[in-house]
Amino acid sequence: MKRASFSAAVILLILSVPAEAQRNQIRIVGSSTVYPFATKVAESFGRTSEFKTPVIESTGSGGGFKLFCAGVGSEHPDITNASRAIKDSEVELCAKNGVKEITEVKIGYDGIVLANSRKAGRLKLTRKQIFQALAKEIPGSDGSLKPNPYRTWRDVDSTLPEVKIEVLGPPPTSGTRDAFVELAMEGGCKSWDWVKDLKKADKGRYQEICHTLREDGAYVEAGENDNLIVQKLDANPNSLGIFGFSFLDQNQDRVQGSFVDGVEPTFDNIALGDYPVSRPLFFYVKKAHAGVIPGIQEFVQAFASDSAWGPDGYLADAGLIPMPAQERSRLGSEVRRLAANVR
Amino acid sequence: MNSQPISPQAPSPTGPAQLGVDAVRARLRKRNAAARRFRLLCQAAVACSLGFLFLLLATLCLRGYQGFFQTLIEVDIFFDPQVLDPDGSGDAEVLASANYGSLIRSSLQEILPDTEGRRARRALGELVSLGAAYELQNRVAADPALVGTTQALSLVASDEVDLLIKGELSREVEESERRLSDLQIAWVDALDAQGRVRTRLSRYFFTSGDSREPEMAGVWGAVVGSAYTMLITLLLSFPLGVATAVYLEEFAGKNRWTDLIEININNLAAVPSIVYGLLGLALFLNVFGLPRSAPLVGGLVLTLMTLPIIIIASRAALRAVPPSIREAAYGLGASPMQALVHHILPLALPGMLTGTIIGMARALGETAPLLMIGMVAFIVDVPQGPLDPATVLPVQVYLWADSPERAFEAKTSAAILVLLTFLILMNTLAVALRKKAERRW
Amino acid sequence: MHLSLLLLILGLLATVGFVLGRHRALGLVDKAAQLRSLPGYYGAYVLLWCALPSLLVLCLWLALDSGFVDRLLMSDLPAAVQQLPEEELALYIRDVKNLATGNVVSGQAGRELQLGADRYQGLLRTNLVSRSLVVLGLAVLGLFLGWRSIDLRLKAMNRVEAAAKWILMAGSTLAVFTTLGIILSLIFEAGRFFRLVPMGEFLFGLRWSPQLALRADQVGSSGSFGAVPLFAGTLLITVIAMLVAVPVGLLSAIYLAEYAGPRFRTFAKPLLEILAGVPTVVYGFFAALTVAPTLRRFGEGLGLEVASESALAAGAVMGIMIIPYVSSLSDDVISAVPRGLREASLGMGATQAETIRRVVFPAALPGIVGGILLAVSRAIGETMIVVMAAGLAANLTANPLEAVTTVTVQIVTLLVGDQEFDSAKTLAAFALGLMLFLVTLVLNVVALVVVRKYREQYE
Repeated sequence: MKRASFSAAVILLILSVPAEAQRNQIRIVGSSTVYPFATKVAESFGRTSEFKTPVIESTGSGGGFKLFCAGVGSEHPDITNASRAIKDSEVELCAKNGVKEITEVKIGYDGIVLANSRKAGRLKLTRKQIFQALAKEIPGSDGSLKPNPYRTWRDVDSTLPEVKIEVLGPPPTSGTRDAFVELAMEGGCKSWDWVKDLKKADKGRYQEICHTLREDGAYVEAGENDNLIVQKLDANPNSLGIFGFSFLDQNQDRVQGSFVDGVEPTFDNIALGDYPVSRPLFFYVKKAHAGVIPGIQEFVQAFASDSAWGPDGYLADAGLIPMPAQERSRLGSEVRRLAANVR
Repeated sequence: MNSQPISPQAPSPTGPAQLGVDAVRARLRKRNAAARRFRLLCQAAVACSLGFLFLLLATLCLRGYQGFFQTLIEVDIFFDPQVLDPDGSGDAEVLASANYGSLIRSSLQEILPDTEGRRARRALGELVSLGAAYELQNRVAADPALVGTTQALSLVASDEVDLLIKGELSREVEESERRLSDLQIAWVDALDAQGRVRTRLSRYFFTSGDSREPEMAGVWGAVVGSAYTMLITLLLSFPLGVATAVYLEEFAGKNRWTDLIEININNLAAVPSIVYGLLGLALFLNVFGLPRSAPLVGGLVLTLMTLPIIIIASRAALRAVPPSIREAAYGLGASPMQALVHHILPLALPGMLTGTIIGMARALGETAPLLMIGMVAFIVDVPQGPLDPATVLPVQVYLWADSPERAFEAKTSAAILVLLTFLILMNTLAVALRKKAERRW
Repeated sequence: MHLSLLLLILGLLATVGFVLGRHRALGLVDKAAQLRSLPGYYGAYVLLWCALPSLLVLCLWLALDSGFVDRLLMSDLPAAVQQLPEEELALYIRDVKNLATGNVVSGQAGRELQLGADRYQGLLRTNLVSRSLVVLGLAVLGLFLGWRSIDLRLKAMNRVEAAAKWILMAGSTLAVFTTLGIILSLIFEAGRFFRLVPMGEFLFGLRWSPQLALRADQVGSSGSFGAVPLFAGTLLITVIAMLVAVPVGLLSAIYLAEYAGPRFRTFAKPLLEILAGVPTVVYGFFAALTVAPTLRRFGEGLGLEVASESALAAGAVMGIMIIPYVSSLSDDVISAVPRGLREASLGMGATQAETIRRVVFPAALPGIVGGILLAVSRAIGETMIVVMAAGLAANLTANPLEAVTTVTVQIVTLLVGDQEFDSAKTLAAFALGLMLFLVTLVLNVVALVVVRKYREQYE
């Protein structure tokens, strides 16, 4: 009898929770690259303001847009993070579901590094060599294509070590993979003139040549867990890993970033724009939600404050590469205007 | 190998009989040696499997025990009215938005050498956690009279200092490759020499939710989330599972359909758990419109997963009750329902509970299905009800394992140890119940 | 009236019904007449009359009301709105509802929208009031009817027990349908996959590379769905796991059942079972970060090339996890072999080892085989260990030192992140899930047949 009354009480407790239409907590989805930064801002926002701490899910950029564009209303997220700009197809999807006004906020840059264990020698690569090592098909000088013949780095270039090519990298769903393919692979692929010319003539074919990674085991898809990649690199000095700069920054004593086109991936080099493989990071806000879900404007402003995204802010400590001062102040005032408008 | 009969014709100087005894003795020795070897092999196997267990636990403990501790730095903080409340208004909002980090830096500046200049002041600030400033803020908010006084406080050290004190951070690497500069290490050593550095059981680890600062991250939010999720799972799957088992075992006939159902239920254990998550996403979130990340949805999904386990265990428990009990009840004039409720169910209950606990233990350790329904998220606030966003313990393990900060490695192992403690407790309970159920008839 | 309040009142009414029914039954008793059932059954009888019909109606109401209200709302909207294409209409209705419930509205709330929202609020209120009235009215009516029908001839017990049986059946139907629903949805989605990719290619193709583009503007690579490398990888890892688990588990079981004293047994058996209770995420980390690098270093010492995500590491750790499945089940089966067999063998002069090997083991073999088959099906379906420790690249190889991938790993990679339910890429996960289900189905059936056929040999 006692047990029955106890469980009855518990059931009543559950049923009596009112089904609120209104959420009083910001919901954020999106890129796993932006996740470490967004969570830092969210935590400090939650602790210093009277609002609740936003809930952040790491779904990948593509998954984030899909959730974000599913509609307006408190059951849909308010903000999505992305490690690439929104695509036209996603803007259309949003519009179709009634998400008409979206505000894009750029928050800074992230370098994509190719790193290996400190126990091995440091590699000095060019983008062409990266392409040769990882592309599925290598263009010949005469306009032909052959399956990638390179087994070791020495095969690619005689200055490189006699080590088997083994690169751990993100799967196709990842925004990091999209950016790596567009920046590093395409950059190397362009060094063949006929491929470069193809870009205007037959874009699809061009992308197919430049963006396709090899599938014979030299490129190992290692899932989205970047930390596991770092630890696997530490355990296996012969392999390289592809991940964001923040993971390199936190694990400097275990892994080292390879030079790309003669530039070392350091904070300053990425910030100056010298390091070739870096991309901007964004978040997108649903305008319809601002002013209804409490705290959105304040959160966006907290993100866009110099104490967060500035060169001395706490996001820089976490590995975010800040934008140049001018760009930052321009975007910052835009964000403040957005907040003022909505109110 | 020893089944040949002893050959009587064997030529021997000492006679056939003597030979036979010798041969038997020799073979007996061999057989006994074989028996000893076999026994040893079996012992080795047990030792081996127990060894695996201890190896696993020892690895986790070695990696994780430091995650339970945190480094504190004792500092005398002067709550400078100049910084906190320059106008002397005493306004709560002014006090809340004051720069508490600067108080900490000033205090550290007084007890450490070479702290001139803006850069040094910044580097000084990195010694203590961001959380220390929040703590000061909370103290002042609770008691505004603190302004203007000097208090001896223990501040939480930053994760890098914590790692250094625990010996996890190598001092040998070049300065540029370390997270702490030579100067900072010198400061920490100076603080240590002054006896201001202490290592204590972490306050935050057991009482707070997730955080991006490893030194402030805790498992309490995840424990509460797990508790809500498990409660929902238990409330749904136990009655439903027992009702199904009772009906199938006691009332449904034995035919092809019930066979099919039985095989189907047995087989659900092999459906990868992530598929349940996908069904949960489609059904509970998209059709019923329940909130994302809520323990309610997590509980529903895990119910789908535990239901088969409970049904199987409950049916086995019902079958194990000897028919004589039922017959005796009938003989005294009980109806089938009375025999069931008054006699068979109470006897089968320990077995049913064992199965339930095992199913719940599996649900407690499950990560994959929760990936799909938004429970893998950064959630700082401890959930207040089954509809609040929450994570569960294994998800917290998964999230921390993916964090870039080095100090999370120890936290991950520590969280695993917490999870294992709960699992071992549940297992012990199941064993105790099974002992009760292991009644000989 | 709020749903929880309604349920609370229903519960109270039902309790009142129980008390009244019992009271009336007791009041009927006099010297001449006896009740046909215990008084509690009369109470339960009224309770059921009160609660069951009203709860059923409530459930139906909850399932149907939103569609009904929507239709009413729709018919009241201005004609211009009703002419809108379906998608825009759905958006408009959402806005109306959101406005009415104080939720986010996609655009500026116009006058028309406000009118619609007011109408919707009115409809909702009417719906709630009528729901409460109908349900509570039914409950009171049921209470009264049940209470009135109590007399000395009423066989309350039979009625109540029949109702209880129906309730049990409803519960089990619900559970059985959920379990069947899971399988049916697997089959349905897999069917959609096989419409896109021929079954022959899936079953016998030698190349697995599901790199289809999910977005229109993303460049994927080839999409080939030959699952043989996955099956081979799963088989390889399972074989390695069983090579670890079967000898260790079986010999442990023999020791526990035949040699160990009761004290060691009560302490060692639960300890071993902890191995099965450790969350698989933990094993995954153990395999990826401790076992794999150790194996690699060891292999390099011997001059072998070991991949950092070798099948051996994942398989060995999985084997450790499976040990208790083999040992626990085998232990039970060996203990169940009748004592007489052992005593007869020992009496004939066999050593204990010979008795075990020649008598006990063959007698227990069917059960052991069943247990091992169950362990195999557990190994095949295991996910997290292989996700963390095995690779993602589908190599067709039998070398345990190379990286292979498994069916479960691929299911997880296909489902986590971006999904698109009309792309063969996402649907492939269901086809793989179905394969997994079928394989374990066969294993389970074989195990069942083996155990059933030989189980009662010695009784």
